[in-house]
Amino acid sequence: MNRSPIAANAWRSLAVLGVVALALFPFAVGNSYYTHLVETILIYAIVLFGLDIVVGYTGQVSLGHAGLFGIGAYTAGVLVLKLSAPIWVALPAAIAVSALFGALLALPALRVTGPYLAMVTLAFGTIIQILINEMTFLTEGPMGIKVSKPELFGHRLDETEFFWLVGVMLIASLVFVHRVLRSQLGRAFEALRGSPVAADCMGVSVYRYKVYAFVISAGLAGLAGALYAYSEQYISPNTYNFELTVMFLLAIIMGGRKTRTGAILGAAIIVMLPKLLDDIDLFRWVSVAFAVLATIGAAALLARGKSTLKNVAIPVAGSIALAALSFTLTTMADWRLSIFGLITLFVVYFLQDGIVGFVRGALSVEGRARTGAEPAREVEVVAPQEAVVRAQGAATPQLLAADKVLMQFGGLKALNEVDLRVKRGTIHGLIGPNGSGKSTMMNVLTGIYVPTAGSIEFEGRSVVGRSSSDIALSGIARTFQNVQLFGEMTALQNVMVGLHHTYRSHLLDIALHTARYRRERDQSTARARALLEVVGLAELAGEQARNLPYGKQRLLEIARALALDPQLLLLDEPAAGLTAPDIKELIAIIQKIRAQGITVILIEHHMDVVMSICDMVTVLDFGQKIAEGVPSAVQSNPKVIEAYLGGDVAVEALA
Amino acid sequence: MLTITNLHAGYGKVEVLHGISLEVPKGRVVTLIGSNGAGKTTTMRAISGMIAPSEGRITLGNDDITGRESHRIARLGLAHSPEGRRVFATMSVTDNLRLGAFARYTGARPKGDIAADLERAMEYFPRLKERRTQLAGTLSGGEQQMLAMARAMMMNPEVVLLDEPSMGLAPILVDEVFRIIARLRQEGVTMLLVEQFAAAALNVADYGYVLENGRIAVHGPADKLKNDPAVKAAYLGGH
Repeated sequence: MNRSPIAANAWRSLAVLGVVALALFPFAVGNSYYTHLVETILIYAIVLFGLDIVVGYTGQVSLGHAGLFGIGAYTAGVLVLKLSAPIWVALPAAIAVSALFGALLALPALRVTGPYLAMVTLAFGTIIQILINEMTFLTEGPMGIKVSKPELFGHRLDETEFFWLVGVMLIASLVFVHRVLRSQLGRAFEALRGSPVAADCMGVSVYRYKVYAFVISAGLAGLAGALYAYSEQYISPNTYNFELTVMFLLAIIMGGRKTRTGAILGAAIIVMLPKLLDDIDLFRWVSVAFAVLATIGAAALLARGKSTLKNVAIPVAGSIALAALSFTLTTMADWRLSIFGLITLFVVYFLQDGIVGFVRGALSVEGRARTGAEPAREVEVVAPQEAVVRAQGAATPQLLAADKVLMQFGGLKALNEVDLRVKRGTIHGLIGPNGSGKSTMMNVLTGIYVPTAGSIEFEGRSVVGRSSSDIALSGIARTFQNVQLFGEMTALQNVMVGLHHTYRSHLLDIALHTARYRRERDQSTARARALLEVVGLAELAGEQARNLPYGKQRLLEIARALALDPQLLLLDEPAAGLTAPDIKELIAIIQKIRAQGITVILIEHHMDVVMSICDMVTVLDFGQKIAEGVPSAVQSNPKVIEAYLGGDVAVEALA
Repeated sequence: MLTITNLHAGYGKVEVLHGISLEVPKGRVVTLIGSNGAGKTTTMRAISGMIAPSEGRITLGNDDITGRESHRIARLGLAHSPEGRRVFATMSVTDNLRLGAFARYTGARPKGDIAADLERAMEYFPRLKERRTQLAGTLSGGEQQMLAMARAMMMNPEVVLLDEPSMGLAPILVDEVFRIIARLRQEGVTMLLVEQFAAAALNVADYGYVLENGRIAVHGPADKLKNDPAVKAAYLGGH
């Protein structure tokens, strides 16, 4: 899964080539119009890098980014106008102010999602535009602000020099965003999208990281906004309108989410397309080129057996029709908007992974993010037997004490004054009929539900009312009855989300790849691999979690939970859907976990598993405890047989 | 009724099934046995059109259903009760069951007496009757499992695919589910069954196929497989 040195070298040469081409571009065209056009693309690309963090990675919608972009532009503009601030003050200030507003924009995202969030962020953008317009004392209102090109070390930059500055900023942003997204932060962002509940239960606070994502995203929009002010040399409120915000979102969708190439491509499209549609000759050439590309792409897909004739017929015919149409038109003016709309519709409908995603699919090139492999610089290897951290012993034999826990949903008492005491280092079974309250108990213990009444003490400290991520970090890890993996992330990355708590490095460490960050990253990668080995999934490390068979997904959840270094591990039906041989392996894994001193609460319907490994069993029925004791005693308890086991037929005949 | 010939299928670049062939005759219960990742669920998904096979042929009655869309396959009379609980969480139990009969309301399937079938489904699963007005999402895991199964039956299907019907059920209910399967078999329902409890599945089935790493390793009449020492050791084993 690691990239070969040859491929890495090829990428590096390509990157150097790109930088050189960018640096020489102003001389090559010798036309300030085109230089300015490319400059705008670069500036938009910086916004899109940031927007992609929110949209592509955390899966939130934002229609407020034009507003954030505007805040950046006006922060720089006002500072230059009122205080004649130099650029090295204006840029950081623009980043900081926008980031602050980003935090503000994140607040609604913590409460609402989907269309509601879109509406709220849209309102945010509109309010910003109105404020800029109305706060004449600061922003000069509709008059706008004139900003001349900045001075650097006493030298006023000319067009070309400023272009280079924007180029440098683009590369810096690219490296920054790339590093952030490949770090524990990026994994936290993706985890939010995959399963917020699971993220919280892995100690990754959904609350905190949503805000974080919006702040980083807004900071980038602010930087881009400030550069834009200098680039245009004039800013006015109506630039930062609804249309621009939709364009940004469209660029992400068209370019392809979760890819930096896609962001640059998307920026190029939204800047170039309107210009392109002004010029009929240019439009003709490009639409012909597009039709040819679409046909070749479709042919490639067909040849590789990745698509059927029926599926590619419409897009190919559509692109050819567009090319034909371009030659029948004599003027663009009337058609501009319709064609723009058609192209957009086409891309959104047929290329749902964006252009980059489509090209990758057609060429079978897997993005690095997709294969998810961490690069080959693992200096250390953790042996599987050392992967599971030993639970610390403590003076008290009792690890968990729940007293009279009451969980009421409307009139239904899902848990009715249940007591549960779990001794350190034991495997405690929790069984009972479906709907008897076992999973509710798990959710209460992990803070997903707050009990209506009763107390829960873990290691002598109350759990009630604390957040799920806080409880997780204090040593309670869990798996889920309905598997809650981060589907788009690889098995290895899933486990690394569990190892989030091992990182001390912050944003600056990540951006600069300091020794501390590199050490933590290598250690956690090695540990994650070792944990996968513990549950027998080492060979599937690079596979996306959603592609694993159900039983393996359950094992991956156990590995991820172990990454938290828990004192107490809650397993919710780990054997569900497993056949006899798989169950044997599972039992061996659970015994290994206990051998490390980790206490386990096990919900399970496979009686053979419960009876063979549990030290103590509690039986629930209709939210009440009906029996408790050693397995053999519980098994022969008439109440348990009646409510749960159903006589001897069930267990023996089916096992 | 359902015939699969040389089926290849998988996810993305990974091929899971490497050419399997099997047959489910009308009125019979056939079970598919294998360990985790052998390809049981993938087979089910390919049959019901949730993933497109890369090679091979699947026919339902006289219709070639290879690579067709799920809803079309369903209208031809194939009901799939999927692995994991895929019930319509924000709808009541009764509405979930009615949706199972959707194709009958629209006329794509013979209408028959939907109300009577609804009562029959409730009678099979008394727990669902008790909770008929409750939202499906608020049911316990085991109840959702039963609902998924009952919903599949509401289509009055030609063939039912049951993927892990006993998963997550209390032993007392596991027993119940197998009793229901046995009863459905007596009523002449054609079924393809994937089950974690391989021995119990072979008890209620007529015929069995053993899937190993995406290929059929052994197949034969259920009682014969049950006594096959190799199958016994690998899949039925007393753990």
